[in-house]
Amino acid sequence: MPAILFLFGIVLFRLSVVHAQYPEKPLTLVTPFAAGGSSDLNARVFTSFLSDYLGQAVLIKLVPGQAGQKGTLEAARSASDGYTLLFTDNYRDQLHKYTFRNDAYDTNRDFVPVARVNYGQIGIIVRADGAYETWAQLEADARARPSEISMSHSGLWVALFVPMLQLMKDLDLSFKMVPYRGGGPAKAALLAGDADVSMAFPATVVADVEAGLIRVLATAGSERILEGVPSFAEIGLSPTTGYIHRVVMAPIDIAEGRLRILREAFAQMQGEEAYHRMMTQLGENTEYLDGADYEAVRIQQSNDYQELAQSLLDQ
Amino acid sequence: MIETLLAGLDAALRIDTFVWISGGLLLGMLMGSLPGFTTSMGMSILVPISFLVGDPLIGIPFLIGVYKGGIYGGSVPAILISMPGTGASIATVFDGHELTKKGQPRKALEMGLYASVISDLFSDVFTLVMIIPVAAIVLGFGPPEIASVMFLSLVIIAVTSMGPVVKGLLMLCLGIWFGFVGADPFSGMPRYTFGTNELYDGFHLIPMLIGLFALPEIFNAVKEGDISGSSVGRFVGERLRLDELKKSLRTICRSTVIGTGVGLIPGLGQPIAAMMGYIAAKNASKHPETFGKGELDGVAGAEAANNAVNGPTMVPLLTLGIPGDAVTALLLGAFMMQGLRPGPTLLETNGEIVFAILIAMVIANFLFLVLGYISIPLFARVVTIKRSLLIPVTIMLAFSGTYLARSNPFDIVTLIGFGLVGIAARSAKFDVAPMVMGFILGRELEYTFGQTLALAGTDWVRFALTERIGMTAVVLATPIVGVLLGVRMSKFRQRALKGGQA
Repeated sequence: MPAILFLFGIVLFRLSVVHAQYPEKPLTLVTPFAAGGSSDLNARVFTSFLSDYLGQAVLIKLVPGQAGQKGTLEAARSASDGYTLLFTDNYRDQLHKYTFRNDAYDTNRDFVPVARVNYGQIGIIVRADGAYETWAQLEADARARPSEISMSHSGLWVALFVPMLQLMKDLDLSFKMVPYRGGGPAKAALLAGDADVSMAFPATVVADVEAGLIRVLATAGSERILEGVPSFAEIGLSPTTGYIHRVVMAPIDIAEGRLRILREAFAQMQGEEAYHRMMTQLGENTEYLDGADYEAVRIQQSNDYQELAQSLLDQ
Repeated sequence: MIETLLAGLDAALRIDTFVWISGGLLLGMLMGSLPGFTTSMGMSILVPISFLVGDPLIGIPFLIGVYKGGIYGGSVPAILISMPGTGASIATVFDGHELTKKGQPRKALEMGLYASVISDLFSDVFTLVMIIPVAAIVLGFGPPEIASVMFLSLVIIAVTSMGPVVKGLLMLCLGIWFGFVGADPFSGMPRYTFGTNELYDGFHLIPMLIGLFALPEIFNAVKEGDISGSSVGRFVGERLRLDELKKSLRTICRSTVIGTGVGLIPGLGQPIAAMMGYIAAKNASKHPETFGKGELDGVAGAEAANNAVNGPTMVPLLTLGIPGDAVTALLLGAFMMQGLRPGPTLLETNGEIVFAILIAMVIANFLFLVLGYISIPLFARVVTIKRSLLIPVTIMLAFSGTYLARSNPFDIVTLIGFGLVGIAARSAKFDVAPMVMGFILGRELEYTFGQTLALAGTDWVRFALTERIGMTAVVLATPIVGVLLGVRMSKFRQRALKGGQA
């Protein structure tokens, strides 16, 4: 009799463990970005809200280095128990496989998207007191003087550089590319006159536009974001050029139920007013997309970048 | 503008602002004094707290207090156990630790504190008053100018190092080469990594500093064998006398100017300010041969310069919204989380807040003085610990501090490797300072030089002569300055040798 009770107890115990609520302990969000950068800040904002909807804290683990490969590798190697997630963007996810040799992981094979947190649309900027008032003028000048107009960017294969490459490839233009350490110095170079053109997310130059220092000539997408400023689609580019998507990923073997819980938490978070307000204060939008829907975007990005990489290799 | 200034003054004078600044200063000093715990790491952990406070007039000065405290805090282990807590205290080690060995740690710490406070105060006031014109100057410094100033600085550091000029230049080149290890900054191609992933980011500065400066000291202490019961000193030593401070006032003023200048030029940073301040002090001194053997003026020169950098680095952030380094990038984030948008319109829309923050920075210096003064006797007591306990603790700090910096096991290898380099350099009488500076600046120099080439395009002669005269002038002046300084230094060396050890 006691043996049966004991066995019964064990069975009950096992059942309770199986039905225990995930998550039972804090989660780790591996963030392969530098401290204080826009990705770091985005992460800090949404994790503080997400924690409420998951019932456990989501802790940021900054793992910068090797253009994001270090952190991505760590996340790829972590247990698929749903307690380690990766914060990344579309360039790292789909482009870097062509630009950085890496045998340790394959983002398509090793990660599944939980949610796209938001996206940013890049814009082409020039000095307000400079020679270019419209994109048409800049384009004409660039054709007349190939490789002479200098364009400052924020570093290889990231948010400013890739749209610039796509621009040059799709419109058959060439600019003198000058590297800088990040969007801030790239903008400073433009303001100082060292560069004639640059790119930036419109939210980051709102103050400069208001102060009459910078002019935006075109913005990414098929629709106009700013009044009187053409979209990339209007100037002859693909409507998907120039988007950065910030995505949270999980290791691919994560249990279906746990992935669902994570996705639901993100969906519910979108109803929180304070979250939208804080993101707006940061200058970001909150255009959320569920992970399952983001898969389609991922595939399209993959094709775009494969094309881009191919065209570069052909040169 | 005056009304905004007064409104800012009114806003800044609040008890809770002072309390939070003091808290930040203490935390910063503590973090700075822990080797491996970099200021930017500590600040990024504390940014959420600054946000939760809710009030930018408390949250931002709190972080600035952490920053200031951190820069000073790095000098504590540098002086006491020859372990620079941060790159900024690299020049403090030279004379600071020698003073400790002579039984005067408290004097060294106090000189470091007073020099830091005085220079920080002046550079903050300068920033406050000159913020608008300074913003224009800062924009004028592009990659060509920065590269040429770095080049000049490196040559100055090499020729004024201890020992013959040739040795200094050799160590400089070695340091620059160490800086090449890792990914090429432009294409991301790995260099000298031997196929490993660990070296892709190159060597890390913290294990290198700890290895080069602290491990040889430990090695010597163990070699001497006298680790049974004695301590470095029985007492914490005398306090700094007023006349000693007065003697160094000129050095402090000079270093303040140097540090402020370095702070204005984006990308240079505290290590180079500290080295320049130290070298200038040595050069201007009537007895340069005492430098490196426990000269208070050396500590003053280094510490005054590195703290003076803090104020001006805020200018591009506040006026243009452009962060110059990791710390200002964090501050930018902190500002944005408070709903403030650093940039050209910030002064117009939230002028009182900007001035209030700058005024809080100025006030923080006084709090800094008080807190530092109280904590020094506590810190200095480290030297009364028995060596048999102190040495193992130092070793533990060296290794754990190294791992703390990046959680990268390879850093331990770096630590040991550079420890061996440091020990070898010491016995062969090579000065490691040019090597460290070559490492720190070499990468930056390569990057800015590459940017300069990209800007110049194919017609670089025209570029150099018409567009960037400043850069060309500095580059041409560099060999001249180098030779002059080198000759001067060797004259002093001859004098010291003839006159016996002073």
